[in-house]
Amino acid sequence: MGLAGTTTALGCSPESSRTLFPFVSAPEDIVPGKASWYATTCRECPAGCGLLAKNRDGRIIKVEGNPLHPVNAGKLCARGQASLHGLYNPDRFPGPRIRNTGGRFEAVSWEKAEEILADKIREVSRKGRQARIAFLTGLTTGAMNDLVNLWLAEMGQPQGHIIYEPFSYEGLRKANQVVFGIDGIPSYRIDLCDFLVSFNAGFLETWLSNVEYARQFASFRALAEDGKNPFVFVGPRLSMTAANADLWIPVAPGDEYLVALGMLRVILDDNLPSSLGRNERAELQSRLRRWHLDEISRKSGVDQGLIRSVAHRFAAAEKPLALAHGLPVAGPRAFETALASNILCGIQSGTGAAIDFSSPSSYGNAGKAEDLKALCRTMREGGLDLLLIHDANPVFSLPASWEVRKCIESVPMVVSFSSTMDETSTLAHLVLPAHTPLESWGDYSPRRGITGLMQPAMGAVFNTRHPGDVLISSGKKLKGEARFPWKDFYELLRISFAANLRKSVEETEASWQEALRNGGVWGAPRADTHRLSPQISKIDFPHPDNGDISDPGLLLTAYPTVQFFDGRGADRPWLQELPDPVTQVTWGGWVEIHPDTASELRIRKGDLLHVTSRYGSIDAPALPVPSVPAGTLAVPIGQGHTSFGRFADGLPANPLDLFPPDVDSHSGGLAHPTLRVTIEKKDLNLLIANTDGSFYQHGRELIQTLSVADFRQALSSGLRPNIDVPLPEGFDPEKDFYPPHEHKDYRWCMVVDLDRCIGCGACVVACYAENNVAVVGKEQVIRGREMSWLRVQRYFQEDAPAAAWLPMLCQHCECAPCESVCPVYAPHHSKEGLNNQVYNRCFGTRFCSQNDPYKVRRFNWFTFTRPAPLDMQLNPDVLVRQKGVMEKCSFCVQRIIEAKIDARNKGRKVRDGDFTTACAQTCPADVFTFGNLLDPESRVSRLVGDPRAYQVLGHLNTKPAVIYLKRATPEPMTV
Amino acid sequence: MDTLTYSKINQDVLRTLDPPDRTYVRLVAVLFAGIVMGALCWAYQIRTGMGVAGIKHPVAWGVYLVSFVFWVGIAHSGTLISAILYLFRASWRTSIARSAEAMTVFAVATAGLFPLIHLGRVWIVYWILPYPNQRNLWPNFQSPLVFDVIAISTYLTVSFLFWYTGLLPDLAVVRDNSKGIRRRIYGILSLGWTGTHIRWRHHGTAYLFFAALATPLVVSVHSVVSWDFALGIVPGWHSTIFAPYFVAGAIHSGLAMVITLLIPLRHIYRFEHIITMRILENLAKTIILTGLIVAYAYGVEFFIAWYGGNIVERDTFIWRAVGYYAPEFWMMIVFNTIVPLAFLFKKYRTSLTSLFVICILVNIGMWCERYVIILSSVAHEFDPYSWGIYRPTWVELGIVTGSFCLFFFLFMLFVKFLPSVSITEVKEALPPPTRQYEEHPRCSD
Repeated sequence: MGLAGTTTALGCSPESSRTLFPFVSAPEDIVPGKASWYATTCRECPAGCGLLAKNRDGRIIKVEGNPLHPVNAGKLCARGQASLHGLYNPDRFPGPRIRNTGGRFEAVSWEKAEEILADKIREVSRKGRQARIAFLTGLTTGAMNDLVNLWLAEMGQPQGHIIYEPFSYEGLRKANQVVFGIDGIPSYRIDLCDFLVSFNAGFLETWLSNVEYARQFASFRALAEDGKNPFVFVGPRLSMTAANADLWIPVAPGDEYLVALGMLRVILDDNLPSSLGRNERAELQSRLRRWHLDEISRKSGVDQGLIRSVAHRFAAAEKPLALAHGLPVAGPRAFETALASNILCGIQSGTGAAIDFSSPSSYGNAGKAEDLKALCRTMREGGLDLLLIHDANPVFSLPASWEVRKCIESVPMVVSFSSTMDETSTLAHLVLPAHTPLESWGDYSPRRGITGLMQPAMGAVFNTRHPGDVLISSGKKLKGEARFPWKDFYELLRISFAANLRKSVEETEASWQEALRNGGVWGAPRADTHRLSPQISKIDFPHPDNGDISDPGLLLTAYPTVQFFDGRGADRPWLQELPDPVTQVTWGGWVEIHPDTASELRIRKGDLLHVTSRYGSIDAPALPVPSVPAGTLAVPIGQGHTSFGRFADGLPANPLDLFPPDVDSHSGGLAHPTLRVTIEKKDLNLLIANTDGSFYQHGRELIQTLSVADFRQALSSGLRPNIDVPLPEGFDPEKDFYPPHEHKDYRWCMVVDLDRCIGCGACVVACYAENNVAVVGKEQVIRGREMSWLRVQRYFQEDAPAAAWLPMLCQHCECAPCESVCPVYAPHHSKEGLNNQVYNRCFGTRFCSQNDPYKVRRFNWFTFTRPAPLDMQLNPDVLVRQKGVMEKCSFCVQRIIEAKIDARNKGRKVRDGDFTTACAQTCPADVFTFGNLLDPESRVSRLVGDPRAYQVLGHLNTKPAVIYLKRATPEPMTV
Repeated sequence: MDTLTYSKINQDVLRTLDPPDRTYVRLVAVLFAGIVMGALCWAYQIRTGMGVAGIKHPVAWGVYLVSFVFWVGIAHSGTLISAILYLFRASWRTSIARSAEAMTVFAVATAGLFPLIHLGRVWIVYWILPYPNQRNLWPNFQSPLVFDVIAISTYLTVSFLFWYTGLLPDLAVVRDNSKGIRRRIYGILSLGWTGTHIRWRHHGTAYLFFAALATPLVVSVHSVVSWDFALGIVPGWHSTIFAPYFVAGAIHSGLAMVITLLIPLRHIYRFEHIITMRILENLAKTIILTGLIVAYAYGVEFFIAWYGGNIVERDTFIWRAVGYYAPEFWMMIVFNTIVPLAFLFKKYRTSLTSLFVICILVNIGMWCERYVIILSSVAHEFDPYSWGIYRPTWVELGIVTGSFCLFFFLFMLFVKFLPSVSITEVKEALPPPTRQYEEHPRCSD
């Protein structure tokens, strides 16, 4: 499938849109106006989710999760969806570039560029310096990995391949090796456990495989009559993951370790039931003999009673799971914490079901920071003649104190395969820009047993080549056809696919086609349970060096965000415009500081802070926000780019600049001591582009909650929720002046389950992509002109360190306040209950927005445009709005129409589940349910009767068709 | 008025139409430049998008609608003075009725620009009119903005006709006292007024009818304008007292504007014997009344916000008093309700300085009132996530300044080209001429 179509480079230059030529002979599989979907694999992070790329008339206009894929099951995070902005990024290299003597990049032809590379290798081998070649790549597996290794071997340096992943979880891997004897990362099954404690593992944001874990988390936390499974988060910051916990235990960075040890201590002291044998218990007792609960409590500042309660609940569970972040970048003592957490996982034998070492993650293949350190040393000592870099940006993602820039600068020849300019590529002498993954053939295996295939879902946008093709062609040139017999990388991939099945290429044609259609090859998930056997005897629980406690200053924690991962997402406008889940800030870095600390230090929002650690300093604006405990600062990782294109550059700041130049001797990861920093207020106030008007709800009860006991009681008593359904029966002459609307066949309705919402913002980006919502940039966000049709509103709790989210979109009210005030009927109530905004009719009085209590209408303050070729992403089914026009959520009316046409062709009505909206489609936690309220069997009809159902601002009698389900209040964590 | 005679009135009023001096020309030129500046700002806004203004999410209405309501409000006392006081036979109104009525026409015309300036796509503004079209698309008669169009256009038409009807005999006076092209122009404008008995009878009847027609409009227009807000569900707008509250406020600001205009007019053209201190004093007394009504409305708003028990409503009003717009709020309270109380003392009602200063303050206060009502309500609405602050930009300030220039420009032209005091009505108040006045020259009536 898709070969002919995908290799036809339609619309590959922006000029082609100026003149429209019909095909003389139309490509077979392109039907104008009809989308083709190509299954491929997301390469925005090593999680390797399955993608479906929607190709309309030769261009990918949207990517969605592949429903068949075992990792993401049809769901996709914001980053995955923004891969389109990697594809269409206006700052991509338009073709090969060579750096001239003046340090500028000049265009060069591919033939010339490949010749330069070949010449260099010839020169190196002539001098007998083959060993002085290194190839630095991101995490690759499968054919590409084999090719790189083979190529290097042919060139004479078989050890030259260094896989560099900024987040490679050295602490976790090392702890797994020590405790379970396996240097690797298992697949976790959060959905199979019944008590979860996370030691700063942000598994809903970036940790290992966030979409998969968000899905599992949603099913783990599903509200049932007996409540939900408890989740405790221990960490230095109220992160998105922490805010989803029943209880956030704030600790200083690295003190998660102490809490984990405290739990072990309680389990031993209180003689709690466990599956540990007598010997293991005794062994653990002896290992922990130097640790006492009161000391732990004193050092960590966590109440003894609280540790005791959590430990009791943990031990009482059948399958309790403890996750430690194990990521040296994300906090001190990553290894030690993972060690203690692994022991906790061994307490109950049932936990084995949730930790699957039989299909280890490919993260285990990644090099460790110490490998990079060694490489840097080699480079600095002049030991390298040729460095090739593909899919890695160490200059940005390693601490400034490592001086990676200087190291790379001392290499005589640096070749970058980067598709876009980044900090590392600026140092390249030769740039051979690669296809982005959406334009490439390839395979990637996120863990054993799953191989995702990548196929080009459209022709190349720029004059780029597959790095595999470049390697093969240069290999042919240097070592002859015999050593590199493949025509191109595709052929190699195809042969390697066949070889994996131990068959010939011809024999595997059917399975290849099927694999391409499915997006890859995978087996059924493992069903059996292994007992984990922690090898306690080998463990020593070190008393941590608490840094210099006399060192004054504030604690600092750096954290990866769901938008930017390690920073590679920062050049995607959608991700920059997506408000950070907790701070709700767009476009830019910041320093989170507790409002009390801020007022003590007389720091106001936006004050530029000069943050200095012993190893470096950064400048970033202060953001007083109750997401950190007093005395702790938090800085997101991923901003602070200097040469990463127009969308990323100049936004403050990279917290890695505060890190030491060492590696951790235990785990081989980055050294991460407890960072104490001093701050100095600079005489400058930067505006912060946050989208929230207030931290709190101010008693408005927009997010409503109920206790599990009330929920249970309501269920048993059959209590109906008190809502005004957006149907004629929701009207009451007592309070309604106008008669009800009549509906024809459908009344579209959405149910939003607030108890499931994790706040990740995937729905927001899906909406941007589906509906051509404009990105307005920092300056306009500051002025309150962001255009998001759907926003995930964050509210902190006024009386507790907790936060919750409220996805807010047009409520498609039955009695819509916006409809009655428009003088020209631009907001129009359709026969299917939709509140349609007729763009062509709107002349911009903005009265609708004024009268809209939900404030979900967005006005086009300008004619917002997109720099080419970002405009190639636009969905042709949705109008692009001009200045002066109001717009808002349409319930994806284009999808409704498509579904209706489809159903009509089949001679029936649209059925429940035929289609859904873009937000509902992508939500990893299944927050949204969309359907027809006139169909009594539809899921929405059933959910509307849920005792948790309510309408936001229902007292205004707007009768919204977006029905919310109340959040269940967390149950107190008592013994 | 003892010294006044028919001829003296003619002379005094016609003197204002003499070729202007240099100061006048300079002033008009400056005002015209201001209009051009405002127009350029508007052109820039149309070309670039509404984003050049400070309006934003959630405050989508800014100083344009503030100015709209302000100018509509100004318009009110013109009609109050010329029509209502006419019907009530308050004879002290005669000398100021003309300029008050002119002020009404110009203020409504200026006000009418703002809904256009405020539109996102002004080039299709005619869609709001109920004109027959193939698509059978009609405006939404539920929308207060459609009420507005009807109310404002009716008001503009009626007040213009009322004003023009009153002008007719005076235009004839000008015609009869001029020569050449000027005589022709005023001849056309005076519609061939001959001053026969039957003309006078028709004129009197028409004037009375227009007065009767304009009177309910005083109430209705600003009630309708208030419904732009009161029919919304926005806390701070959604209130049944809005119609009378706005009408009182409109008259309050209108009276202040009349005095603001009359004092310089009277001084420049030496109208002291026509626009007497008694008239100004009467206006000042009325301002005390309207100020008290406005104060009552402010009080009721706060009382209801507390008594209603709606936390959103309550927070809105607390925020008005202590939040971002608190300076404007307190200016509104002090200037509109407390400062005018000074008129209780005769000393302040009869001093031109204090009259002028207090009326300027009331004008500022009333502008602030609209600013506070329109902005602070949506800025601090139901959903705290969507709270936001609005500040006007230079484009908005340029356009608003341009609108003031336009208003004063029109008024300046009016005093130079049309009789700014009603010659006929002032004469009516005089004892009819008897034989002792045989000597006086021919006059038109």
